Amino acid sequence: MKPQKDIEKKHTNKELAASIVFPGPQNLRDREDMLSALKEIRKRKKQEQTDDSKLIAQLLQLKFLMEDYLNDKALNQHLYFGYFLKEYIVRLEKKYKQFAEEIDVNPTELSQIINRHRNPTDKIIYRLEIHSNRNFPAIMWFRILEKQREYELMHDASIVNSEKSHVKKQLSFSL
Amino acid sequence: MAKVKLGVKIRETGTGSLVDAVIEPVTLKDYKIIKQSTGRFNKFDWSLYKKKEVYKLRLKANTTILGLMCLIDHTDPDTNAIEIALLEVSVENIGNNKQYDYIGGCLIAFACRESFKRGHEGFVSLVPKSSLIEHYTQHYGFEYFPMQTPSRPCGLMVLYDHLARNLIMKYLSAS
Repeated sequence: MKPQKDIEKKHTNKELAASIVFPGPQNLRDREDMLSALKEIRKRKKQEQTDDSKLIAQLLQLKFLMEDYLNDKALNQHLYFGYFLKEYIVRLEKKYKQFAEEIDVNPTELSQIINRHRNPTDKIIYRLEIHSNRNFPAIMWFRILEKQREYELMHDASIVNSEKSHVKKQLSFSL
Repeated sequence: MAKVKLGVKIRETGTGSLVDAVIEPVTLKDYKIIKQSTGRFNKFDWSLYKKKEVYKLRLKANTTILGLMCLIDHTDPDTNAIEIALLEVSVENIGNNKQYDYIGGCLIAFACRESFKRGHEGFVSLVPKSSLIEHYTQHYGFEYFPMQTPSRPCGLMVLYDHLARNLIMKYLSAS
């Protein structure tokens, strides 16, 4: 490994700042000093934080969690459409009834979606995009719903079997 | 918190075009490759960070590592932040003749995104070398806090709130 002085000779400071973060203090006492300074800064910044900024941070957290779940191949039974919708409403500090009014949906229907007793209609998903000022696009909600349905299909054979009586003819071979 | 894989875009300096890349956790196999690829990551001994949370940035199309970053997640409520403990861009991508640009930016923006995602409200810190302070500010928007002590002469730099969001917008919105 190169000594830090060699590194600094080879590159300009501008180039280094764009590409390198050097290790901070290594010994325990210096590190504790650094962490206590960090806590002081954090406290000051927290005190300066506006309500809008808090809300944006909470909504960004939700958006990134949704993005990561969509990028992950794994399915999770707890991360269903209604869960994320509930998180969206809770972070906005709204009651279900108030939110239902804001997107012109029956409060009972909203509650049933959140509690997984029914799936959302396309219209509700489009309204969620509009309500969020397009920060939570409809495509994101559709993909969450798709993952939920994939999980349900994989774990509940009765969803398909309940339609058996309606199928009058079927292929006689397997591929 | 599950470690994630995130698609990003870096800029090919020759053509100016954006190229697909991925940020993902470093594996044990990667540490061997990093050690063997003498000269490409020659500034720090990354094997010392094997037990820490280390991410790599690579092109989507192949396995060549272009950048590395070690994060420390300070989950205690008083700190509530992500620390960039170490970051290094591969030697061929530092300076005027670099092949790809945005590697450092994407990694730091990824740290900001993780900070929001883990509920730290975008708070990211690093310990600067004194000669790089103004460049971290100019290049990435870090705010400098000079709280010096004899054992910690360079203070701290932080990204937070809109500064962290700006970096996410700049480096991750094309993904």
